[in-house]
Amino acid sequence: MSPNPAMVVPARAGDPADSAMGSWPHRHLLDADALTWPQMVRVMDLADEMREIFERRRPRSEALKGVGVTNLFYEASTRTRVSFEVAAKHLSADVVNVSAGGSSIEKGESLLDTMRTLEALGARVLVIRHAVSGAPYLVAREFRGSVINAGDGRHAHPTQALLDLYTLRRHMPEGSLEGRKVVILGDVLHSRVARSNLWTLTAAGADVWVCGPATLLRGFEAWAAAGVGGARRFTVTSDVKAALRGADAVMALRLQQERMAAGLLPSVHEYAVRFGLTTKRLSFASPGCLVMHPGPMNEGVEIAPDVANGPRSLITEQVANGVPVRMAVLALCTAAAA
Amino acid sequence: MSATATRLVGGQVGERATFELTAWALDPAARRAGTAELVIRDGVLESIAWLDDPRGLDDRGVIVAPGFLDLHAHLREPGGEAAETVASGLTAAAHGGFTAVCAMPNTTPPIDSAAAIRATLGAAAASGSPVRLLPIGAATAGRAGERLAPLGELVDAGAVAFSDDGSPIQATELFPSALAYAGMLGVPLIDHPEDSAQTVGAEAHDGLAATVLGLRGWPAGAEANAVARDVAVLAEVVRDVPTARLHLTHLSTAESLEHVRRAKAAGLPVTCDVTPHHLALTDEWLAGARRWAWHAIDADGTARDPWRDGAIDAPPYDAALRVNPPLRSPVDARACRLALADGTVAAVATDHAPHTEVDKAVEFGLAKPGIAGIETALGVLIEAVDAGELELETVVRALTIGPARVLGAGGTGAGVAGLVEGRPVDLVVFDRSERWTVEPMALRSKGFGHPLDGRSLPGRVLATIAGGRIAYAGVERD
Repeated sequence: MSPNPAMVVPARAGDPADSAMGSWPHRHLLDADALTWPQMVRVMDLADEMREIFERRRPRSEALKGVGVTNLFYEASTRTRVSFEVAAKHLSADVVNVSAGGSSIEKGESLLDTMRTLEALGARVLVIRHAVSGAPYLVAREFRGSVINAGDGRHAHPTQALLDLYTLRRHMPEGSLEGRKVVILGDVLHSRVARSNLWTLTAAGADVWVCGPATLLRGFEAWAAAGVGGARRFTVTSDVKAALRGADAVMALRLQQERMAAGLLPSVHEYAVRFGLTTKRLSFASPGCLVMHPGPMNEGVEIAPDVANGPRSLITEQVANGVPVRMAVLALCTAAAA
Repeated sequence: MSATATRLVGGQVGERATFELTAWALDPAARRAGTAELVIRDGVLESIAWLDDPRGLDDRGVIVAPGFLDLHAHLREPGGEAAETVASGLTAAAHGGFTAVCAMPNTTPPIDSAAAIRATLGAAAASGSPVRLLPIGAATAGRAGERLAPLGELVDAGAVAFSDDGSPIQATELFPSALAYAGMLGVPLIDHPEDSAQTVGAEAHDGLAATVLGLRGWPAGAEANAVARDVAVLAEVVRDVPTARLHLTHLSTAESLEHVRRAKAAGLPVTCDVTPHHLALTDEWLAGARRWAWHAIDADGTARDPWRDGAIDAPPYDAALRVNPPLRSPVDARACRLALADGTVAAVATDHAPHTEVDKAVEFGLAKPGIAGIETALGVLIEAVDAGELELETVVRALTIGPARVLGAGGTGAGVAGLVEGRPVDLVVFDRSERWTVEPMALRSKGFGHPLDGRSLPGRVLATIAGGRIAYAGVERD
């Protein structure tokens, strides 16, 4: 692939993407585990600049002018796909959306063949959402451009974790999560959001707790004992009160109906009663405890409507912050690919 | 001394071997090891002289041993010829030092009739390879697990054992029947122990790597439960049919091996095998670690954390590592080595399971399970020997007389697995210390990819002689 000149030389003086140049080693973003803390901070800092563009206080960046960004979504998604699309457009990229329905994917074409086709059609960035854990790694082995993981199976959702980190930092004194108690509440076992957040939040120095029914925490006790990356600690419990006590932020996770069919939970009702994030439960947390949810929400199940829409809720801000964070990731990874 | 060995490789595959060789010889059947002079003429071992003077040779150089016997290989013919054929599989076997290969019957259609056995043997004869193909017949018709296959006909046609490998034999009434009937016929029943109810959708050993990678867990108990059930049924069947014999293949967990250890101590006619990959690779490889299993465990038996150790140095989710049973924990891998050393495990079987690019160059969770390891088995085992984890004699026994005894006298053509004068010879000559690099494209198997791609292994095979004929002759180097 001949490098796109726009990715090497900024087309316009004062383009925020200028600061994406240099010393970012990652052509792909497959999970947050590959990022050092300074690299996460770099994403945050660049996202701050990108935010200016998103909020239309500055003209759009030309960092990805003429660069083909393809959103390849094998699972239904509205917010993540649109967020990537808006982010890429604010960087002047040429965006193509491919969803599993109505394409050759339904005819049984392999993931690598689809990748080669999209590459031949000019894709230089592939944003992939896939139901099988690890699928973006397969593509990254052969794709000549950048692969951005937009969620793979139960494994990872690194841009969600980065936007969660970004959102939390904006609301913490001096932007620091050091020693802050952050609770991830719900179906941790099946959650790519939880896994990626474990990497980012522990890197930020937060006191991370994961909480949920015992059936949806299996394996995490052993991970906690081993440490994230073999060192960074977190706490695992099914005791919601203990988890929420003194919490500075709580992130509720979506509960899928399949968990009941799989025999992991007796009923949605029982889950809501025992683990739902209600105003009463939130009263155990620190005053001003922040409330988050990666969406889409089942209001009245994992989170009560008054909590979701309450004064401490950052849920719509998370969605908005997704755009500048993804702009930063796209700018950094394409610059590294050039 | 390598030069001595290369002199024998002049002939073409299929020709009767004629050569003389002085090398370090290992003969587990005769319980002998030492420098020996072998004279082979027209394929027959004319003489073997064990020398009192080692002549400066030792077990770290060129070694001659009886040809290896693999109890478990998938040659994919008929139906899967894009992944392997009888011809390519036997060529790969010879390259790995094997002179006899048991072919599993989970082909398409399955090997569940006398005609299918004869077709497989015909393909082996037509291949021109002197490596012996020992057919394993399906235990149930169509491997469907509903009624017995024509077991008597299968044995008459040449089956050396029965197995529904790839699947366990689930039906509770069918399993004792298959054991009893196979016992009557004098051949073992080989079970792939897996409680399928516990492994629906499973992707990786239920351990730390699966949790971190978000892969659906494959509990160790799914194997141990099946082993316990099999052993309990065997105990009941042997009361009525003392000739019944059960062989459990590709055991991978500490608990399964402990069940077998206890069953053997109780005198039950049960044997088992482990694969090279389950004793040398572990589930941390899925996360990108690339160290041998013995480096992934502390002296006190605690598994090490590859993240803490900074041992993650390859991309995760390599589909070449997807295998059934899955790569297990370092504790389980050590249990495999210990069970091999203490005799609980009779044989190392490769579970050579080649697949096409179409089936392997896909998402980890969608890849077909299997490692095509018949050409790398010896190298992996010698790595374990070099690391002090296994004795060389143990390894050679587990590749020769160990599997031969599992098949027993009923296994027609199983061979004597020894260096016996006056008979067409089955032997392998390898250089224990010479390293070679695993390159999937250069391997003889048609299988796509290999978990050890790019890695160097010791133990280059110099020559394989099967039934007195040259099966593999290494490249001349002088």
